[in-house]
Amino acid sequence: MKSYSNQRRLSLIFRYILLALLAIIWILPIVWIVLASFSYNDTGFVSTFWPEQFTLQNYVGIFTNPQYPFGNWIINTLIVSLLSMVISTFLTISVAYVLSRLRFKFRKPFLQIALVLGMFPGFMSMIALYYILKGLNMLNLFGLLLVYVGGAGLGFYVAKGFFDTIPRSIDEAAEIDGATKWQVFLHIGLPLSKPMIVYTALTAFIAPWTDFIFSGIILSTSGNAKTYTVAYGLYNMVHTAKGNATAYFAQFVAGCVIIAIPITILFVFMQKFYVNGITAGADKG
Amino acid sequence: MKIWKKMALGSAAVLAAMSLAACSNGSSDSSSSNNSSSKKANLTLWVDTEQVPYYKQIAKDFTKKNKNIKVRVVQSPNGSANAKTDVGKDPSKAADVFEVPNDQLGQMAEAGYINPLSPEATKDIKANYIDVASKGVTWKGKVYAFPYAQQAQTIYYNKSKLSANDVKDWKTLTSKGVVATDFTNAYVMWPVMFSAGTKLYGANGEDLKGSTFDSQNGVNALKWYAAQKNNKGVMQTSNALNQLKKGNAQAILDGPWNAANIKKILGKNFAVAKYPKIDVGGKSVQMEAFLGIEGFAINSHTKNAKAASDLAAYITNKEAQLIAHKEAGQIPVLKNAVNSSAVKSDPVAEAVIEMAKPGNSVLQPKLPQMATFWNEAAPLISGTYDGKIKPSQYKAKLAKLQKDISKK
Amino acid sequence: MFLKKKHVAPKATYREVWSKGDIATKLSFFIMGSNALANKQWVKGLALLISEIVFIVWFIFSGISTLGILATLGPIKSKKVVYDAAQGVYITKQPSNSVLILLFGVLAIILCIAMIYLYIVNLRSTRHNYILKRDGEHIPTNVQELKSLLDTRLHATLMVIPLLGILFFTVLPTVFMISMAFTNYDRQHPIAFSWTGFQAFGNVLSGDLAGTFFPVLGWTLIWAVAATATTFFFGVLLAMLIESKGIKYKAFWRTVFVIIWAVPQFVSLLMMAQFLDYQGALNNILMNLHWISSPIHFIDNQASPLVARITVILVNMWIGIPVSMLVSTAIIQNLPEDQIEAAKIDGANAVQIFRSITFPQILFVMAPSLIQQFIGNINNFNVIFLLTGGAPMNSKYNGAGSTDLLVTWLYNLTFGQEQRYNASAVLGILIFIISAVVSLIAYRHTNAYKEG
Repeated sequence: MKSYSNQRRLSLIFRYILLALLAIIWILPIVWIVLASFSYNDTGFVSTFWPEQFTLQNYVGIFTNPQYPFGNWIINTLIVSLLSMVISTFLTISVAYVLSRLRFKFRKPFLQIALVLGMFPGFMSMIALYYILKGLNMLNLFGLLLVYVGGAGLGFYVAKGFFDTIPRSIDEAAEIDGATKWQVFLHIGLPLSKPMIVYTALTAFIAPWTDFIFSGIILSTSGNAKTYTVAYGLYNMVHTAKGNATAYFAQFVAGCVIIAIPITILFVFMQKFYVNGITAGADKG
Repeated sequence: MKIWKKMALGSAAVLAAMSLAACSNGSSDSSSSNNSSSKKANLTLWVDTEQVPYYKQIAKDFTKKNKNIKVRVVQSPNGSANAKTDVGKDPSKAADVFEVPNDQLGQMAEAGYINPLSPEATKDIKANYIDVASKGVTWKGKVYAFPYAQQAQTIYYNKSKLSANDVKDWKTLTSKGVVATDFTNAYVMWPVMFSAGTKLYGANGEDLKGSTFDSQNGVNALKWYAAQKNNKGVMQTSNALNQLKKGNAQAILDGPWNAANIKKILGKNFAVAKYPKIDVGGKSVQMEAFLGIEGFAINSHTKNAKAASDLAAYITNKEAQLIAHKEAGQIPVLKNAVNSSAVKSDPVAEAVIEMAKPGNSVLQPKLPQMATFWNEAAPLISGTYDGKIKPSQYKAKLAKLQKDISKK
Repeated sequence: MFLKKKHVAPKATYREVWSKGDIATKLSFFIMGSNALANKQWVKGLALLISEIVFIVWFIFSGISTLGILATLGPIKSKKVVYDAAQGVYITKQPSNSVLILLFGVLAIILCIAMIYLYIVNLRSTRHNYILKRDGEHIPTNVQELKSLLDTRLHATLMVIPLLGILFFTVLPTVFMISMAFTNYDRQHPIAFSWTGFQAFGNVLSGDLAGTFFPVLGWTLIWAVAATATTFFFGVLLAMLIESKGIKYKAFWRTVFVIIWAVPQFVSLLMMAQFLDYQGALNNILMNLHWISSPIHFIDNQASPLVARITVILVNMWIGIPVSMLVSTAIIQNLPEDQIEAAKIDGANAVQIFRSITFPQILFVMAPSLIQQFIGNINNFNVIFLLTGGAPMNSKYNGAGSTDLLVTWLYNLTFGQEQRYNASAVLGILIFIISAVVSLIAYRHTNAYKEG
């Protein structure tokens, strides 16, 4: 008996060590990025783990850079991501609910079409998207919002999987009591899907903070740095003129760390919902 | 049964699409309509980010003299080095006047993105600009941009470690110190081919069938690349500045756009010189560089061709070139600006102007086929350097490149 | 019961509707919505009527020319530079803008299809009302029709906006992209281009791009399999490790792994590239520890393709494992315990239980999302583009490096030096075909798996 408990303790210790090792592997590069944002850098390259010279100048610089209005970027991105979060979440949840709970003739074909559409690489559509938005005179943040929201109807898979797991008998009972389908959706469907809503909202919220490609295509033409989102702005900082990459590299890293902070905090607080959401969806695909 | 859905959907789609179609019809026929210069004009000017502040100032002066012309100075979306793709994405939304390196002029002219300059401007450029500059912006007999700066790579070194004599020859340079460079960059490395005596596109750089690097001279240059792999004094790196700062390298091959950054790193030990001599094919020859001319071109979609042309001329006049030199280290191309005291006392400018002389550098060709060249030359040099391409393959690889880049 | 009965009510052919219907019904065949208006379904009737009027006006004034010009993609194929003596400057007469012509041509076709669809809807509605009238049943009033939008037709209400979004921001661009593959839209024809049939396909499959296409395709498939399998397998293992008995602060551990999501990939991967550089931190650390005698070329241009590819897959594990760890976590939490208990009693050890019970169950549940991940990996742009940019260079390829995937190559062809839009459209279609074939086979397989 004693040897058994010893063995178990040994196994636990071993597992803790393994976990700690893995955690270090995963977290070290992040720590390194944070360290790099606090280090003095005039070469555009970080070749050591521990900075040779600490400085706060990168953080001061990113907020006072006359060419790159970081503050505006954050506000722009916040507006776009909040709006996109609200609208996309509603659309995605609606589509998922409809496809999961309601039966109608167009349902099967729609599921198939959605699957097919998802298989085309998105890049080629960018040229067309650009001209569509130009035709609507919307080569701006609002147009970008439209692009993010426009795809929401196709992102229903995870949420649909979630709705599939809720027994239909709940709806039927309510309908027998005389509730309309809208009331069922509003008073039963939505409250039940709280983890799913959080998951979808979080995903929609984060996208504008990290997307540098679509935002680049749509916003770059204006050449007005004040209208950029933070992802494109930062990417643009180190990918335009020769020599720029070197001069602004450290500020770029600092800017990235700044936007990672709120997202990390969101993650920590919403992790439970996130896990529930993602797994409920994965259950049924 | 789902009449409502279908209907709502259908009619919404019809309405939305029609508004879209209507918008398009309004805007799509905006082409090069012509206004006279006295008319009011709103122009957009694209320049590289770090140049925005002083070009704003220059543009303000321009507006003072031309009261009817308003100028908006903004950054080139992805930098002037990507002018071709930025303008090509949607020429009608691109700036009226934009900064562009001369090697893209041929393709842009062929595509119809840019207008040739007026005969007077052409005459002025031919007369008052240094020879390479006017040549650099000329494509098929017409001038396509107002040049304002010249760029060539030079050698930057730490003068506490290397003397001016040391950097005159590759052999002494690499035995006394380490030079950091990038063999994966055809812009930096291809000119060794010129030193070896080959032509990329003939003597004038515009002859599609004039390539001569599929030859023994070309093979000699490839051998030179391969030999550098075992040269302890040559460091292949993608982050030369960092190596220079850490002291792993004492010299780097770089361009004037990085001069300010290098000055920051080397401080009082900063020194610059023209490229050294190298031994290719058993001969000691001058190591050459590509010479680039930065200029301002006029968008062919502009509604105010005359005003745009006036603006481009103004922002490349002597004062403007000297401001660009003072603020961003751009090296002027206007003869009387080149001879000004400010430029003469600038060691970087001195070295670049020296490099710009014939025999030290070759103007970047402007043929549209340069796109293919850049794509294929870099893997060739890189592969030769690191030994992925064996000496026995040299001839075949050069032949393939020569064939690919001379296709119509 | 009543509903069912109504459903099997005798149907009417359109011929019958036409011959026996009243004037408003007959009129509906030409003027949409007239029947609905006659039956006091104002909203529906007006919507149909207005749609028809708007469509006809548009079709006459703009639609015909838009569709007509689509056949040639514009009459003026080349630019003309002329000298404007009055101003003393050159002016360029622009060729036809084929991109816009193609885009609005596609839009016009979609519009016509939508109109035909609407016309059919109109006829159906007319027939429906006709049958109700013929059988003496109640025709829904305006209010009833509107109310049904929140009840029996709720799906229609909720789907309209998402469907419009999909139509304009996915379907239209996709159709546009597909048509581009059949043109000569490239750097030589950047503004005005023409239809050239399957020529671009020929270039990719047997022409100057074939020597790049097939090797890159091969690597793309290997990458997709390896990336999906490694992240899935190790994600499951990591989830089991965190979920195993005795480990405390599970949420904390999970958070540690998930933090890399919070950092935008364009910085985490860019820094990773510097970390793995020949002169980078990793090589420095390994050298200082004397684990290696000379630095290793991981992902730079001097690296061997094999090393670079392995490195890329490893870095992708760093990015991808946390996701699949999260997904597997709750599956593990919900796994039925009885089988495992039974196996334990039978004396199975942990490895056996994992191999024959836990893992198959997780695989079963996750099969559909694995297929999606696989397709996602075929199109995984960020990891390659930001980490290696395709490096090491490959002198045998045209515009691609040894680690380039089809999708990054596609990007290079569009936005890089060569600007071969038609070739990249072809690549897009081929990527689609590959994804479709793979998922078809996989779905078949998983279905069989479920039944067996």
